[in-house]
Amino acid sequence: MGRAVGIIGVGQTHHGRRTEMSYPDLVREAVVRVFDDAGLTPADIDGVVSGTMPSMMEGIALTHFYFADAMQAVGKPILKTETCGSTGVSIAQTAYYWVASGMADCVLAVGHEKMNEGNAQATMTTVVEPFYQRYFIAGAPGVFSMQSQMWADRYGIPEDKIRDAAAYISVTHHDSAFDNPYAHVKLRVSMDDVKNARLITYPVRLLDVCPTSDGACALIFASEEFIRKIGKKAAWVKGVGYRGEEYFFGDSDKGVWQSAVQSAKQAYDQAGITNPRKELDVAEVYNPFTFQEMLFYECFGFCGFGESPDLVLKGIFNRKGELPCDPSGGVLCTNPIGATGLIRVAETVLQVMGKAGDHQIPGAKLALSHAMGGVDQFNGVMIVGSEL
Amino acid sequence: MSKRVAIVSVAQNAGAESADNFYDQAYRVAREALDKAGLTREELGTVVTASSDIFHGGISCANSYYWETTGAFLKNASRQDGESLFAFFYGVMRILSGQYDTALVMALCKGSENPPNDACTLMFADPFYQRPVGLTETTAAALQMRLYMEKYGVTREQCAKVAVKNLDNARRNPYAHRKGDYTVEAVLNSGMLADPLTELEAAPKSEGMVALVLATEEKAKKLTDKPVWFKGYGSSLDAFFLGDRDLLNGQLGNAAARAYKMAGIGDPGKQIDLAEVTEPYAFQELMWYEDLGFCGRGEGGKFLDSGATAANGSLPVNVSGGVLANNPYVSRGLQRIVEATLQIRGEAGQRQVDKQVKTALAHGTHGFAGQCHAVAIIGS
Amino acid sequence: MAKEYKTLMTEIRLPYEISYGATWTRFFEGMAEKKIYGTKCGRCNRVLVPARSFCPRCFVDTTDWVEAGQQGTLTAWSYVSYRYFGMPTEPPFISALLRLDGTDVDFLHMMGGFDMSDFEQTRKIVKNGMKLRAVWKDERQGHILDIKYFEPA
Repeated sequence: MGRAVGIIGVGQTHHGRRTEMSYPDLVREAVVRVFDDAGLTPADIDGVVSGTMPSMMEGIALTHFYFADAMQAVGKPILKTETCGSTGVSIAQTAYYWVASGMADCVLAVGHEKMNEGNAQATMTTVVEPFYQRYFIAGAPGVFSMQSQMWADRYGIPEDKIRDAAAYISVTHHDSAFDNPYAHVKLRVSMDDVKNARLITYPVRLLDVCPTSDGACALIFASEEFIRKIGKKAAWVKGVGYRGEEYFFGDSDKGVWQSAVQSAKQAYDQAGITNPRKELDVAEVYNPFTFQEMLFYECFGFCGFGESPDLVLKGIFNRKGELPCDPSGGVLCTNPIGATGLIRVAETVLQVMGKAGDHQIPGAKLALSHAMGGVDQFNGVMIVGSEL
Repeated sequence: MSKRVAIVSVAQNAGAESADNFYDQAYRVAREALDKAGLTREELGTVVTASSDIFHGGISCANSYYWETTGAFLKNASRQDGESLFAFFYGVMRILSGQYDTALVMALCKGSENPPNDACTLMFADPFYQRPVGLTETTAAALQMRLYMEKYGVTREQCAKVAVKNLDNARRNPYAHRKGDYTVEAVLNSGMLADPLTELEAAPKSEGMVALVLATEEKAKKLTDKPVWFKGYGSSLDAFFLGDRDLLNGQLGNAAARAYKMAGIGDPGKQIDLAEVTEPYAFQELMWYEDLGFCGRGEGGKFLDSGATAANGSLPVNVSGGVLANNPYVSRGLQRIVEATLQIRGEAGQRQVDKQVKTALAHGTHGFAGQCHAVAIIGS
Repeated sequence: MAKEYKTLMTEIRLPYEISYGATWTRFFEGMAEKKIYGTKCGRCNRVLVPARSFCPRCFVDTTDWVEAGQQGTLTAWSYVSYRYFGMPTEPPFISALLRLDGTDVDFLHMMGGFDMSDFEQTRKIVKNGMKLRAVWKDERQGHILDIKYFEPA
């Protein structure tokens, strides 16, 4: 695993439609907050990792230039990590490796997106293969609908049950967002509201889908030695996993999603986790679509394949359940994509440090964060714990 | 560094336009790097790539597209944007973490498919202030060049001589895109781009799939009898607004100092045997000599005139022809490492220098007038 | 609700010219002749469609050209009822993954050939595992939309 690495600061913007602010100022909001939280100054930082979605999203390329000042990165070593939707978790993993390798002692990681400045769906379409596939993939909803539909069919899950379970996830996550001061969408919805919402791509309806958010998130990673020296509490990185599959949608099975299964397994092996549902106290699963969240529960070993809808409806994964998932309200309520994966990591850091405020899971010690990206291709997982 | 990381194989394709598609071109170079290392895809530990969406054929989330072409199916892989030396360093980091014993580092750019370079570099500028007034890498470089000449009395002829040297060196590099036996007059008369820059003083737009395999010391000894060792790395980022920066004293000194410290280099002019630098504009090579400590401030022109940086000089720079000969934007930093590796291994063919190369420097830069620099030191 | 603040409207268009390369050139020449080509991996023996120059998993060159069936089995589908940039036709339409006969990966295209204006009616017709066949345009130009759609067989 290399050197022990801890996370000692969290900063995130108030996510939402932030048209009152320029993009660099939005990034700065998260960076100022992470320095406040960690009690450090930019002089303490040995390197900066930044990342976002592709240039087409906001119409600016190589954004590490644009945010050099906002990130206090002038004169610093920089890395720029981008892996589509999984960018946030990939940024966190880059910062982790930078410290674990001994090449830096203290690294600032920043993820950002100002989606309301561009056309998110048109941008996603430019991710897809241009000769064969671009026409037919109806952006993210199209891909994920097909995947959910493939999965439900594989395990013979009745349509009504899966619809109810997805609606339950929507209702509970929307409720949770009220307890997260940084969440974007704050809306009370009922099961019927979700089930009767406008159809986007069957089976996905409007309230099954994440919003278009502006936001940024920043974390500070440091070595054990650095953390001991400044006498700070840390969330320790226990495991990192990442896997990717082929670009051509159709080449690999999405019903048992190997990149999700194996990325979690890599992280579990490093963290020594054998029974995730029992050992993990909380999970922040990347869930832009309610239906897909259930597939992740299964791929991550929280339950067997085809079992998640029943367990969701029993409340196993809600905030008072056996393994609370997305107590922050999750991606379903907040999705500034380039920051989203990093927000998942940030939320788990807050949980194991006992700093999650109104959405704190009492006594949380070990937590999983996750992000997904590409054309239904990439999954990345990070596990943090309160003890080294 | 307690542990050592080695380069065990390198591969690249030619810079001129090719009828191949991106996907196939990338696969072939990745395949070649693995074959030369004697590694199967299954044995490969991890993959780190570099690319840039805007230099990527109009396809976003670049590594989604080429994931399997780099052998990364169901592997833990990641990507760096903009500068391929970032990916090199990240590959090194992954190996030093102890989690992987081999890494494929690859940079991917197919210039022939892309808009003109400056249509892309204009997109680095903010949409409010700098983009509407047309800031590109070329216009920024032209401003920098004039400042440089005026402050230090460097002549246009001295700047043009960089192009003469590098395009001549390129004649011995089978991968070079642009090459030729030009005179200073020919370079100066090659057509005005943005005064004082002429066309032959600015880099072309090239293909560049560039790959190398990294390994731990233990693994490297099994894979090759000519390992080339990672010695040091440094990078540094400048402020965003052009007007906030000192264009004659940028971040390269900072980046180099970090790399030299890690590599234990106190006197770069003596300890470095050969350098491959990224000089998208001819005069910048002279400035980089100074920032890298090869000569004194303002003396880049004289240093070139002395013949020190010629292929048979005491410190050859850009024996490959450099970026003026081959400019696959994102890939050019990694291409510098590949060229330096070939020189250290004595495998550079017709462009192999006569002197023995033990320690070499590779440099990458991207952005306006050297907005971000990265420096890597490798050695036998 | 946040107030609306001053914003700059701007649009970016960049020209790209993307090579087909030898393998995909041949695939699209086949389309003009109403043929769907795949390539076979000599190591894992999978037939990949559309044709690929190499096998993503074995990481070796593919060895043989194979003509895929014009019929296949539906693997997954999505009823698309919203508009997006670059869509192939007006909504609603059905985006579909299907396993063409004689191939080992799923091929992405769309379904058609029946009235799909009413979702509940459509849902009764479209089932995973159903057989589909390609319907070609009369005028073909070597493009993925030379196949109009796949209809129930």
